[in-house]
Amino acid sequence: MKADKLIFERSSRGARAATIRRPDVPTYTLKCAVRQELDFPEIPEVTLVRHYTALSREAFGVDNGFYPLGSCTMKYNPKLDEEIAALSGFTDIHPLAPEKSVQGALEVIYSLGEALKEITGMDAVTLQPAAGAHGEYTGLSIINAYHKGRGDFARKKIIVPDSAHGTNPASAAMAGFEVINIPSDRDKGVDLDALRAAAGADTAALMLTNPTTLGLFEKNIEEIAEIVHSAGGLLYYDGANLNAVMGIVRPGDMGFDVVHLNLHKTFSTPHGGGGPGSGPVGCKAALEKYLPDPRVVRKDDGKYAFAYSEDSIGKVSSFYGNFLVYLKAYAYILTLGAEGIRRSAEGAVLNANYLKSNISDLYSTEEGRCCMHEFVASVEKLKEETGVTAMDIAKAMIDRGMHPPTMYFPAIVHEALMFEPTETEDKATLDEAIAVLREIYAEAKETPETLKKAPHSAPISRPDEILAARSQKLRWKKQ
Amino acid sequence: MSLYFSKSHEWADVNGNTAKVGITDYAAGELGDVVYVELPEVGARANAGERLCEVESVKAASEIYSPVSGVVTAVNTALEDAPELINEDAMAAWICELEIDGIPEGLIDEDTYKAGL
Amino acid sequence: MSDYIPVTDRERADMLVSIGVSNVSELFKDVPEKLKVKSLGLPGGLSQQEVAEKLAGIASTNRVYRSCMRGAGAYRHYIPSVVKAMVSRSEFVTAYTPYQAEMSQGILRAMYEYQTYIALLTGMDVSNASLYNGATAAAEAALMTCERNRIKVIASGNVRPDTLKVMKTYLSAKGMELVVLPDLNGVTDLGALRSALGEDSASVYVEQPNYYGLIEDLSAIGSEAHAKGAKFIVGCNPIALGLLAAPAECGADIAVGEGQPLGMSLAFGGPYLGFLACKDKDVRKIPGRIVGETVDRDMRKAYVLTLQPREQHIKRERASSNICSNEALCALTAAVYMGAMGKEGMREVASACVSYAHYAAKKFTEAGLKLRYDGEFFHEFVTVSPGKADAILDALDKRDILGGLKLDDDAILWCFTELNSKDEIDEAAELIGGAI
Repeated sequence: MKADKLIFERSSRGARAATIRRPDVPTYTLKCAVRQELDFPEIPEVTLVRHYTALSREAFGVDNGFYPLGSCTMKYNPKLDEEIAALSGFTDIHPLAPEKSVQGALEVIYSLGEALKEITGMDAVTLQPAAGAHGEYTGLSIINAYHKGRGDFARKKIIVPDSAHGTNPASAAMAGFEVINIPSDRDKGVDLDALRAAAGADTAALMLTNPTTLGLFEKNIEEIAEIVHSAGGLLYYDGANLNAVMGIVRPGDMGFDVVHLNLHKTFSTPHGGGGPGSGPVGCKAALEKYLPDPRVVRKDDGKYAFAYSEDSIGKVSSFYGNFLVYLKAYAYILTLGAEGIRRSAEGAVLNANYLKSNISDLYSTEEGRCCMHEFVASVEKLKEETGVTAMDIAKAMIDRGMHPPTMYFPAIVHEALMFEPTETEDKATLDEAIAVLREIYAEAKETPETLKKAPHSAPISRPDEILAARSQKLRWKKQ
Repeated sequence: MSLYFSKSHEWADVNGNTAKVGITDYAAGELGDVVYVELPEVGARANAGERLCEVESVKAASEIYSPVSGVVTAVNTALEDAPELINEDAMAAWICELEIDGIPEGLIDEDTYKAGL
Repeated sequence: MSDYIPVTDRERADMLVSIGVSNVSELFKDVPEKLKVKSLGLPGGLSQQEVAEKLAGIASTNRVYRSCMRGAGAYRHYIPSVVKAMVSRSEFVTAYTPYQAEMSQGILRAMYEYQTYIALLTGMDVSNASLYNGATAAAEAALMTCERNRIKVIASGNVRPDTLKVMKTYLSAKGMELVVLPDLNGVTDLGALRSALGEDSASVYVEQPNYYGLIEDLSAIGSEAHAKGAKFIVGCNPIALGLLAAPAECGADIAVGEGQPLGMSLAFGGPYLGFLACKDKDVRKIPGRIVGETVDRDMRKAYVLTLQPREQHIKRERASSNICSNEALCALTAAVYMGAMGKEGMREVASACVSYAHYAAKKFTEAGLKLRYDGEFFHEFVTVSPGKADAILDALDKRDILGGLKLDDDAILWCFTELNSKDEIDEAAELIGGAI
């Protein structure tokens, strides 16, 4: 079957797939307004299977090939972890079941929290946030509660570098803060003078990811921490880039007070085409009592229980967050252990530097410094010479069976391509990517017009985004 | 002279105590293909140099600052269905009309504006 | 012991030479030496077999009940095999957000279909591509209704407690207020609602069915809200919509809900699925991703992420929400489930839920429990038996039945679905009779 029709266009009156047991009690008819019709499609099971199988062939995951999408840490997702998360003992337990009946689930929450505390150098952790941005929101809400809890109501501003992920300022706004953007310095790090000027009695926190979104370690981190702390503010760690440094340097030791992690990046849980993720938040002891309710504690008798805090910011999610997602991360951490975690960071940095050093003669990258787990290449010069853009290079990679890197981010680099190969790629794959990127560069020089039309082999090519935004066809409608 | 420009790339076509307001061709070019214009509300108060409304392209959302101070008396509803009018002729595609308090200082004439581009 | 790193020692040596450094630690020379951690205080890595064994052991300490009569926000339903089979295809599971449309048509099309299903189910014009869960969907919807002078959101006291808590967190951060009304005989008190509504009301939020399982008179509530210029948000159980009138028909401006019943397992609370649908005019206030249809340069039909300026990666602090990762795979799950059930199946599941719940209510009252409310209910209801809640639940627990949720020493909130049976309910009724 070709993926040429929507499921609604495959409906056939009277057809159906799944069936359920006929109730063995009298049918009850509701005494209230009921709906006349639910206009859902009627699909035979074989058609349903072929439809989604056809769709899956027009999707591309880590299991399909190289996926160096910068800032997203598209590492291999172990099959073992998927199988564990499908065990009935985990999938078939009710979130409001008695504590005594879910000791295993509570043990997972508790033990994973302990491991993440150690990895981040924090004193307490919540697993409730459902994604990275949700973690940022939670962390910033905790910071807000902390300042107010000290009787300091003047701290209404969050400082964010201009190279930050878009979620940082958006989360700060959601949490009720005003955002102060500060520029980067010549080394693409935090401009210390700008930070000094911005930090003051109204500073709630500085949000920072380290390594930065340019894949460079923020060398001035101690001085940055000193500036923010002496102004009475806190330091927030955006954990999106932790894969570069886990087991090597801990956010808590760098001076950070609050941190969120993206388990769907760093701890290898699959991204599912956009989610679900999991965004645990860790904090230092002084902020612990503000974490969302409930938390899991281990009692003296070895049993696990939920615990609540009067000062908690409340709840940020139903129940306890994305349990099956963080369960997979727990399995991954158990597999890697302390050494495996460090080796993964080293492997990620090794692979990124190898890729970078073998293309940087053609694709301009930050010179004179080792990158961390990712690097940003600019094709600004190539664009001037040939008209070929970062977008064209990305689309040409699709024709060669590789997922493109992140394009046009961070915005402070023109014609940016951000590569993050991750540690789970072997040398042969990296060599192939190097060959492909060199070949595309040559093509850009020789026949730029061909690249402008890439991809040639995909089901579609260069969709009209302007038409999509103007026409706003956001759902199927019956003709 | 009735046509004024702001340094933030808006124009105001003043006629007595009313003015039509829009963005310049240069601004429209920088934005790329406009896909949506958030029109201000009729009756809303606008202050010169402050946010009037927002214009979206596919990959950007840009705030439009009011070149004049006053009260919005009409909006160009044609832009709701055809935001591309801004790309076709930005100087004709007025966004709203205001009853103005006066001509604010700091506005420039067309030649000065174009010389500054 | 296992680490999923395929680069061999020999290859590593070659790569270091190519990079021009002598060892891996040289790559980390930007990291101040004194900040480096010597070694993490974690156990050593385990083999895959050991991890499998350890976690199977932990899983076995969780109790999977023979029978479940508890809902309260998480619902056990039959999940057709075809759902897991399709959703577990690794092209879907291991993909990132479909930023590269040419490589992601399958995922984009599936999301477009999901948006259509949600629009059809709720009767609304347009849906987004998912939010974290029902509680955050309600909170995001409440934020959508916030305007300059309208900063109070009024919620019925019979809204699920978790949802109220999450709404309170989100609203208070933005300087908005959540007003919680007392209920009247378990349903929204229209008189109290009328007095609470004012010029500063942004919206009214109720759930259908509500926390106690009762069916609300949505049209009446919506009229009250609209009369004062407030928006009307309905949080709905998607299974109930197989039978109940669509929120849009009852005047809802925004429909949200917990999508977990659409093919997702209980999973100790997550991952679940927040859905959100609204009218066309509010499309730019929608949080999160939306997929739209267009054509490619050869005029072939194509799907893309659209209306992106609303989102955090473009609008940053001015975005409609901070959400980035959503629950795409759960949305896919819901879509396959709704396709598998189809028009008739959705109605049959809803009807089975209602029938078992009403049969159970009858048997339980015959056994000596009283219904706390007399209104019409869907698949949940509350019973009272002074001081006996624990005794009842213990008696059921001993026979491997997870009874309803204890609300207080007297009251229990029960839930029944197509997975229950007459025998189970008869057995429970007998145990209840013995316990009180």
